[in-house]
Amino acid sequence: MKRPLPIRILRGLALALLIVWSAFPIVLVVASSFKPPRDIFVYPPRWLFEPTFDNYSGLVLRWPDFFRNLVNSAIVAIGATLVAVIASALAAYVYSRLRSTTLTLTAFFMIFIRLIPPIVITLPLFPVVNELALNDTHFILIALYATFFVSLGTLVLRAFVDQIPRELDEAAMVDGAGPFAVFRRVILPLCAQGMVAVGVFVLVYAWNEFLFAFIFTTTKAKTAPLTLSEMTGAVDGVEWGVLFAATTLQLAPIVAIVVAAQKYLIAGLTAGATKG
Amino acid sequence: MATNRLGPAHWAMIAPTQALLVGVILIPSLYVFWLSLNKSSFGLTPSFVGLANYAEILGDPYFWRALKNTVIVVLVVVHLELLLALAAALLFAGGVPMRRVMIAIMLAPYAISEVSAVVMWRFMMDPQVGMVSRSLAFLGLPTLEWAVEPMHGLLLAGLLSVWLHLPFTFLIIYSARLALPGELYEAARIDGAGPWQQCRRITLPLLVPAILVAMLFRYVFAFRLFSEIWLITQGGPARQTEVLAVYLYLEAFRYNEFGIAAATGWIMVVASMVLAVYLYLEAFRYNEFGIAAATGWIMVVASMVLAIPYLRQMYKRMFAPDAS
Repeated sequence: MKRPLPIRILRGLALALLIVWSAFPIVLVVASSFKPPRDIFVYPPRWLFEPTFDNYSGLVLRWPDFFRNLVNSAIVAIGATLVAVIASALAAYVYSRLRSTTLTLTAFFMIFIRLIPPIVITLPLFPVVNELALNDTHFILIALYATFFVSLGTLVLRAFVDQIPRELDEAAMVDGAGPFAVFRRVILPLCAQGMVAVGVFVLVYAWNEFLFAFIFTTTKAKTAPLTLSEMTGAVDGVEWGVLFAATTLQLAPIVAIVVAAQKYLIAGLTAGATKG
Repeated sequence: MATNRLGPAHWAMIAPTQALLVGVILIPSLYVFWLSLNKSSFGLTPSFVGLANYAEILGDPYFWRALKNTVIVVLVVVHLELLLALAAALLFAGGVPMRRVMIAIMLAPYAISEVSAVVMWRFMMDPQVGMVSRSLAFLGLPTLEWAVEPMHGLLLAGLLSVWLHLPFTFLIIYSARLALPGELYEAARIDGAGPWQQCRRITLPLLVPAILVAMLFRYVFAFRLFSEIWLITQGGPARQTEVLAVYLYLEAFRYNEFGIAAATGWIMVVASMVLAVYLYLEAFRYNEFGIAAATGWIMVVASMVLAIPYLRQMYKRMFAPDAS
């Protein structure tokens, strides 16, 4: 079925607008990070220029801590991802295979509690975290990030486990496998795709999160987004070139991961969304 | 036949998830509720004051401004985003060249942190040197004076929020559209339905549940908006661009009014729950009755009609001759 020409032109135009809207801000910042500072504000923007790494060496010189903050982000993101994926997979298996009133109540609680806005719990946690000397540690951020994703993680993974035929676990149980063995030998290998999807969701959230990091870290466990926000608020004027270099380093790995995992993300949302 | 009986091992398997939720969210939020009934600050023993904090909030004009700002931003952001996402999903479902690459580009903003997005948009929208601002000025259009004009600050935060979350909303609606069976469209074509009729009679009604799910997510999440506003205006100038989360943060960590902040928190909790339960019931009705889509669309349209006066007001203020 071929569409009439005016419709085709309109569709092409709409697509072009959507692509520009999504990509322009990112491309602009990444490109500008390779421009010499005097070219950054040239208008109209120069798209052909001699790339330079001056901004990156400026970043190393003036914000040496930024690289430690990137490492902190990575530790926290990977930690939270592991905790959230493992906890959700275990829970998803139980919620998919068993029914009981208490179980249904806990499932309901799991969804309902997630409606509490994160900022509300910073208030009582702040003094407690200080008291326990957990302030400014990777541990507290990992716990917070993982907690805020186990509900969604369990929901999405449950939809994946639902698709695994029950006969497989029953066969394993006939062979004398207990719940943990069934989980490890049957469920885990078969819902790997869903675990990747959930993992990417948590990874993106934990790598980019601002509010909790802003409230609960100061120096040792400070994450990269926090340093970026300090750079934008620098009193002696913003060094845009250096800021762009830092932004590029912060966004490049996670954008690459999301783009590479797009198939899993779509699968994850399809499984989750059709369940409602 | 081996049966799967609920045993201690199963409880152990849901324990990590439940423990995290109880320890990190439930207990703290109950404590917040208790705190909201007390007068409390750093180093002071809380003293019970009943509902006085709630009364004080309801008499605080800054709270009402924050609430109004939140409602405006949520309504504009969520509906603009749903419309864009729906349009994009239908466009992509109709077939686009280099689909995988295009979807990858559409998804990219999902991976960007709020802070990086603020860097990008502040750079583009800078009133003096920003590229987009200069282009707008070149075309004779007004630019966003987001550092001075409260409405402009909110609008920039809203745009940024749409930019950041469009990919997620798009993905939900797009994957729901992909799941619609092709036979339906074939049958419609045989009956002589044109593309427009197919869209109106098949696609839109069947997408209502997915749209409601996306709406639920986005309402609940937009309601907590903090970082975008905080990083662009810090609630200023003169506390005029505060949203509820920023109001709560300032009361707690700048003015040390824990009781007030806690009460604000509970108001936010109750409001998001009422909203979510309503939307959930709405979505549930659809799964039950399948095709009875009319009321859902009335709801979508009604909330859009609700948003239009705000948009108009914003538009008028932006283009009023005395605005700049």
